This record gives sequence, structure tokens and C-alpha cells, in this order.
Amino acid sequence: MQKNGYRIQFTSSRIKDLMYRTTFDPKKMDGDIILNLSLIDKKDLDDVLGIFKMVISSGLSVTPYVKIISEGESLGDLTIEKGKVGIGTVCSITIDGVLLKAGIPVNPKLGGVVQIRNGIPVRFTDVLTYVSTTVDPLEILMSQGITSVSEMLRTGSGKVLANLREAPMIARDEIESCLSDLLDAGFSGIMEVGEPNTRVLDVPIERDHLGIVVIGGTNPMAVVQEYGIDIDTSAMSRLISFKEMSRIEDLV
Amino acid sequence: MMDPQIERKLIEIMRVIHESDKPIGARAIADELNNRGYDIGERAVRYHLRILDERGFTRKHGYAGRTLTELGEREMSDALIADRFGFVISRIEEMAYRTTYNPETNDGVVPVNISYFDKDDLEAVIDVISYTAHKGYMISPRVRIIEEDEELVSLPPGKIGIATVCSVAFDGLLLKAGIPVEPAYGGIFQIENSKPGRFLDLISYSGTSIDPIQIFMSRRTTSVLEVLEKGEGRILANMRQINSSAYDRAMEVIKNAEKAGLAGCFPPGEVDETLYGAPVETGKFGISIVGGINGICALEETGIKIKTNPVSTVMEYKTMTEI
Repeated sequence: MQKNGYRIQFTSSRIKDLMYRTTFDPKKMDGDIILNLSLIDKKDLDDVLGIFKMVISSGLSVTPYVKIISEGESLGDLTIEKGKVGIGTVCSITIDGVLLKAGIPVNPKLGGVVQIRNGIPVRFTDVLTYVSTTVDPLEILMSQGITSVSEMLRTGSGKVLANLREAPMIARDEIESCLSDLLDAGFSGIMEVGEPNTRVLDVPIERDHLGIVVIGGTNPMAVVQEYGIDIDTSAMSRLISFKEMSRIEDLV
Repeated sequence: MMDPQIERKLIEIMRVIHESDKPIGARAIADELNNRGYDIGERAVRYHLRILDERGFTRKHGYAGRTLTELGEREMSDALIADRFGFVISRIEEMAYRTTYNPETNDGVVPVNISYFDKDDLEAVIDVISYTAHKGYMISPRVRIIEEDEELVSLPPGKIGIATVCSVAFDGLLLKAGIPVEPAYGGIFQIENSKPGRFLDLISYSGTSIDPIQIFMSRRTTSVLEVLEKGEGRILANMRQINSSAYDRAMEVIKNAEKAGLAGCFPPGEVDETLYGAPVETGKFGISIVGGINGICALEETGIKIKTNPVSTVMEYKTMTEI
């Protein structure tokens, strides 16, 4: 009657796996990063690239790097079918992987929607914790019609995708040095680093920890969706060598 | 940033105004806040109301009291994320507590979902819901069509409503039998050969500020029509956990409910064992129940526009009729 041995996997455990497998070294700009991958119709590619460029140059992405996979090309076990194009961005969990490799026990906690008012992040207005879901929170939140990333780009106020992780306050200096290495490597999407034992954008943080909020790597995809273009996104889909990524300016 | 203590009081005042069906004054607000465990007087409420007016969240209607502005309504749904983590589960608890239906006497109320649709679609709505319910993928084939405004239910213009029994009815029945049932997950469930297969996706009721069932509905991941026609496909289902000592009693409650036409529980799991792939805590067993709104999902799959407020209110079960 029941499928013996079948157990469903929650997002938190998939994240831990990907963090462990990330080998990106921000100083060498080398190693594997985690990719969010979307499939779009080939005919939409120019529009989508235009949107990606606009969103990324406004700082609403983890890095300015993207990966284009043409029809017929493969990435691991995935081959892009005819008439489609794959477009990928760096997933923010890559940052957790880098922190982990520096020996910091970082814990990705939740994905959510952050309200921005006049360019300043104000608070999380909706959240989903990674331990509580088998579907990626940002994928869910994208489909709820509660983001307004394009409005944010136009007016400076709106709701964007972001995620939050906790790290022990004792590692604060090491965290700051890692984040500054990442910044030098083009990881500009770090939104907020909280004080220890202090709420970050209204979310309570565990005792003796601090919270770090990073822009969701799927914001460009959310804008494409807000524009009514068909896009099928799987966040945290796979690992890819950083060397295969290109800066968006070199593509458009 | 505003002092979190003041912020909390402001939001609590807004909630009281929101829940009142007419303008409400400072004294009545203070009384209600005292009921909810906030030690705050009428004068302090007036002070906070002035802040809310200044921010554009409330509007004064002479001596009658205040109502929320549209901006205020939006603020209430955005603020205090830490409080809203538990919001979904509190709502389920409240509805379970309010369930008074007794299958033996056929008296009492059950929680219902209310969906709204165009008058022209009535026939199709009845057809599809009846089909889904009689195939056993809803809680009950009994519904109530709401054609004009009633107490507790107000209709959008040009629309009619249909009340369907919500799966929280089982939480209510189990709770009233003294069983501490815990709503654990909402999910997408695979049906194979017209038999329960396994959960494909789960979202816990406690780790989210958005109702898991609402999430799955708007992601349009169900294929209820295919389940009805071919016996294969994806439906909405919930998962509950119950302490192992209550196993026999829980089975009795479910059996009695079935006699009264409340169905939709899949065969329960063993103690300490995963249930169709969903984790179960040690010392407990799981039961999964079909989503009360699978019929609504089926309608959406046909392309009919229908809007649903899950776990909206409670309704006398006797006043609902089989379709």
C-alpha cells in the first residue's frame, strides 16, 4: 500500500547538499557555483536578456554573471529541447557554500519577500522556512503574485525576493572578511548584515547569532514573469563552473 | 524605526478595527485589547489612534469611531512577520475549536471554504463539484449555494458563492473527542490507479506566512480532472499527526464521521512510520485527508474563474445539501 522507503526531501536538506558541493573560491574566481536555471522560448531571448540586464544593473541579483544554454546544448544530464533556451543566474546559496568552506557553520533559514521603500529594505512581509517546504520558497513566492520587482526598479519602492541565513556571532570577523572577498568577486547582492541578537528586517534571529540577508538570484526571473513572458524556473538547480558564466554586459 | 512594543500595539489596534464590521471607538477597542491580554487604557488607545491617523492607516468617522483605510489594510497584512509565522496554524486551531458538529445527532457547525464565481457558471460548478465529491476526493458531497448576502458571508457584486466542507472538520471532530491532533503539512498528493500513492510536495503549516493550500492552488500543480477520469494524477491533501495512544479512538471518530457523510481520510499510517513519504515524529502516527477544495481545483482546471477563501467560516452542517 505505502511506498516502502520513500521519504520526501525538504529544501533545507537539498541546500545543505549543494552548500557542501560548492567549491567556489572568491579570491581565485574559480570553482563551482550553484545555478538557478530557467527555460524560456527561444523567441523571447532578446526580451529576456534586456530585462535581465536592467534588473542586474540595478543591483537586484546576487552577481552580474549569467549563463546562456542554447537549444540542443547540454548541462550535466539536462539537454535543452528544441525551441527553448536556458538562462541561469548565480544562486545566493553559493555564498553559504563559501562561508561554510571558511569553517563558518552558517544556516540558511528562509526565503521571503522584502519590502523596499525608497531604495531602503524595510522588512520581510512574507516568508517560508527551508525546513518546512519541499518546493523552493522563492519559486513559491514568485508564483503568488506578491512580488513587485519591476515596480521597485521604476520607483525605488516595491517587493523583491531575498533570503536569510543565520551564523554564530563569534564568527563575525571571519564572516565580514568572507563577504568582502565575495564583494570583490562581484557578489554585490548582500542586502543586510544584522547585529548579533537583533532582528533583521523584522525576522527574529536565534540567540548569539546574526542574520545575513541576500538578494534572491531569481529576481530577474520574477521580473520576466511580471512582464507576462513564459518562464519556467528551477531555483538551486545544479552546480556549474564559475568559468562558464559571463557578465551580462558582455552578452547584451 | 519605531519601538517594537508600540509597533505591536498599533498593529493589534488595527486588527481590532479590521475585525469590527462597523466603525469602532477608543473605548470598545480598549475593552477588546484587554480581553486579548494587552494592558492598555482608553487614553493610551486614543494616543495610538492619532499615530495611526497620521500615518494614513485609519480614518475617523465623527463620533462613531474609526475604520481602516486601504493603506491600513495593506500595512496589517505586511507588518510583524514574526507573528505571522504561526498565523496559518492559529487559524486552523480556531476553526477546529469552533467545530461543534456531532455525527450522532447531526447537529452543529463545520468549517467551510467559500468560493465565488459568476452566476452563469452555476451549472458547471455543481456538475464538477458533485463529480469530485462523489468520487471521494472532497470531504463531503454536501454544499450550500449562497445567492445573496448573509450574516458572515458577503458576496462580491454579480457573483454567487458555494460553501464546501473544509478538511479542518476532521481536526474539529478529533479535538472534540479529546485527541490532540496536529496539522502538520499541506501537500500535493499523487493518486495511482484510483488509490493513494504518495506525497509529491509538502509545505508545513508552521513555517510559512502564506497558507500552504493557497500556495499549491495558485501554482496550479493539481490535475484533479485526470484523477477523476483516469484514476491517475495529483490532488491536494493534508497531513495530520496524532499521538500513538489515541490510535483506536481516532479510527472510531473517523469511522463515525464517515457514516455521516464526512469522508476523505486515506488509510492511516503505522506508529513511528512515514506516511506516503511525509515524515512522522516518533510516538505519533499520521493521517492524510483530501483537500476540501479539490472540486474547486478541478473547476479551475476546466478554465472556470473561481476565487476561494480557504477556512473562511463555520456553517450548520444540516443547512448544507447533497448535490
